[in-house]
Amino acid sequence: MTLEAPLAAKHPLSKEPVLSLRGISKNFGAVQALTDVDMDIFAGEVVAIVGDNGAGKSTLVKILAGVHGPDAGTIVFDGRRVTIPTPAAARALGLAIVFQDLSLCDNLDVVSNLFLGREVGDFTLNEEEMEKHSWTLLRQLSAKIPSVRIAVASLSGGQRQTVAIARSLIGDPQVVILDEPTAALGVAQTAEVLNLIENLRERGLGVVLISHNMADVQAVADRVVVLRLGRNNGDFRIPDVSYEEIISAITGATDNAVTRRASAHESHEDSNS
Amino acid sequence: MASERRTPGSQTSLREANRARIVDAIKKHGGLTQVELAGVTGLSPATVSNIVKELSAGKVLHTTPTTQSGRRAQYVTLAHALGLVAGVHFSTRHMRIALADVAHTVVAEHHLPLAKDHRADNELDRTTLLIADMLDNLKASMNEVLAVGIAIPAPMDRKTGTIAHSGILRGWDGIPVAEVMKRRLKRPVFVDNSANLGAFAELRIGAARGKSDAVYIDVGDGIGAGLVINGQVYRGFNGSAGEFGHTTIQENGPLCRCGNRGCLEAIAGGYAILENLKPTHGNLKLNDIVTKAMGGDAGCVRALAEAGRHIGVAAANLSNLFDPERLVVGGELSRAGEILIGPIRHALERSVIVDEDSMPDIVQGQLGARAATLGAVAFAIDRVAIGPNDKVD
Repeated sequence: MTLEAPLAAKHPLSKEPVLSLRGISKNFGAVQALTDVDMDIFAGEVVAIVGDNGAGKSTLVKILAGVHGPDAGTIVFDGRRVTIPTPAAARALGLAIVFQDLSLCDNLDVVSNLFLGREVGDFTLNEEEMEKHSWTLLRQLSAKIPSVRIAVASLSGGQRQTVAIARSLIGDPQVVILDEPTAALGVAQTAEVLNLIENLRERGLGVVLISHNMADVQAVADRVVVLRLGRNNGDFRIPDVSYEEIISAITGATDNAVTRRASAHESHEDSNS
Repeated sequence: MASERRTPGSQTSLREANRARIVDAIKKHGGLTQVELAGVTGLSPATVSNIVKELSAGKVLHTTPTTQSGRRAQYVTLAHALGLVAGVHFSTRHMRIALADVAHTVVAEHHLPLAKDHRADNELDRTTLLIADMLDNLKASMNEVLAVGIAIPAPMDRKTGTIAHSGILRGWDGIPVAEVMKRRLKRPVFVDNSANLGAFAELRIGAARGKSDAVYIDVGDGIGAGLVINGQVYRGFNGSAGEFGHTTIQENGPLCRCGNRGCLEAIAGGYAILENLKPTHGNLKLNDIVTKAMGGDAGCVRALAEAGRHIGVAAANLSNLFDPERLVVGGELSRAGEILIGPIRHALERSVIVDEDSMPDIVQGQLGARAATLGAVAFAIDRVAIGPNDKVD
C-alpha cells in the first residue's frame, strides 16, 4: 500500500491516452492481417483485446513489441509519434510485453530470469542487489513465490506468469501487454493472475489484456476492443456491455453500431473534402 | 540480500517476532517447506527448523514429510486437527473464499475478481475447484471439511433456498445454491445473505462485539443491512429482513435493479456513484473512488459524502424504528472511513428522535472486505456445532 501512492501519483489518470494507434495495417504477402485498426490505451486502465482465431490480436501485439513493423498507420506513445523497429526499442519506450509462452528460462532461478540481459553489477554480478530487488518487486505484486532461488521449472503456472509479469516491470514501463495470461492455468492460479492485473492497474499502468476467456475479461477489464478479421468491430465499456453483445461482435453476428456510425461519418467527410 | 537476512531485534526479544513471521508466512502461502520458509522470512534454516519444531509441538503448526527437487523436506501448514470449515462470499464483482479451523483461525484465503452479471453454474464450478485446490495446498482432504458457508448478495428465501427477488442477482435466479453445492462437495452447505453474514461476523469478532442491538450496513455496489436484535442476527419471516438498500427514499426517483423507483441503492449505491462520476472521471471502479477520495480528489469526496447523506437519512429511519446501540458501516466503500461515515452521522443526527446521549454510535467495520467471508465461516461453524441435521433457524 505504501508503494502504491507515489506510483499512482507518477502516472495520474489523464485524458490523453498513453498509447494510441491509428489506422494500423499489416499484410503478410497476400494475407491482410490488419486493416485500419485504431486503439487507445489510457494510464490506469485495463483494455482487453478479444477476437476469434485469426482476428489479428497477435499481429497487433507483435507490432507493439517491435517484432513486425506496420505497413501503414501511426503509433503515438506518451504524446510523441514513434516507430518501434525492434523489441529493444519497445522496451526503451516503456512498453512491456508478456508473451503467451512467457519466454522464461526453465533452468535458471527466479532472480536470473528477472534480470536476464539486464544484470546488475559492473564486472561481477551483484547478486545481493538483484535478489533484494526481486523480493521488493514480488512483494509489490503480492506474489506468492516461495523462494527466488529455485529454478523456474519447479514453479506452478500462476507463479511462472507472476515471474514473467514481474520481469516486464523491471524497466519501469508505462504499458504492460499480456498475451493470454490465464490460458492453461487452474482456478487458483487464474485468481492470482487476475489479482495481479488489478494490482498493475492500481499502480497506474496501462494494461492490455489479450484473452479468449470472457469471464476473465469481464472481471478485470475497463474496456474491451473487439477485432474481427483484422478490423475494429467495436470498442465497449465493460459496465455497459453484456457477454452476449461481446460475443456477437466477435463472431460478426451483429455489425457494431458505433463502428458503423464512425465509418459512415468518415465516408461523409471524405466525400466533402 | 544482507539486510533481508539480518534478523531484527536483540537475541532475547526476537524469538516472539520470528515465530510471528513464520506463522504469517504460512498463512499467506497456505503451506511451505522449511527451506522455502527460510527464503520467505529471511531467517536462517536452523532457526526455522527450531521454531517449527517448537510450534508443531504446541499444535500451532503441522508438518508432513515431502520431497522437493529430489530432496526430503518438511512441508509446514497451520494445524487443523479438529477439521476445517470453508466460507465463501460472492459479491457483485468479487469472490472471496477462506478455509478456517473451528477456532475461526483462517488457514488459507483466496480472492478472485468476478465478471459483472456472473452466472451461478460457472462460479459454483470454480468454487468447487478452488476449495479442492486450497485443500490440496494444505495437504487436507474434502473429508476434513465439516461444513461450507456461502454468502450471497441478495435476499434468500428461507423456504425454497433460492434468491427471494428475481433481478437482483440475475445469473443466480432460481438456483437452490445450498442444494447444488451440497451435491458437488458432498458436504453440508449453508447459505445466507451476505449482509446478514457480515453482521454476524462483526457481532462475533468485529466492531459489534458484545452489543445486543446493532445494525451492520454494507455499502458496496449495492447497499444491504444485517440487523442484530438481542444478540442474534434477525432474518425475518421469509429470511429477507434487512433489505435496507431497497427502502424508498425518493418516491419518483431513479429506477432500481429491483424494479422499484427511488430505492436507497439506486441513489447512493456503488453503481449510482460510479454513474454520477462518469462525466468527470471516466471509467472508475469502487476501489478507485475510495483511493482518490482519500488522496483528496474533490469530486470523489463529494460523491461519497452525498451517498453518505442519503444513507444517513435511511439509517435514521431505521434507528427510529428499533433503536440500535451501534451502527457498523462495512463493505467496499467503508474503506473511505470518515469521508463516508461523517456525512452518515451528520444526517442521522438531524433526523433521529432520541436525544444526543442515547443516539447509536456509528463506526467503521473492523473486518473490512472480509466481513461476509468470515461471517460465512462462523455461520458454518455454528451450524456444525449444533449438528448438521438440526433445523436451521
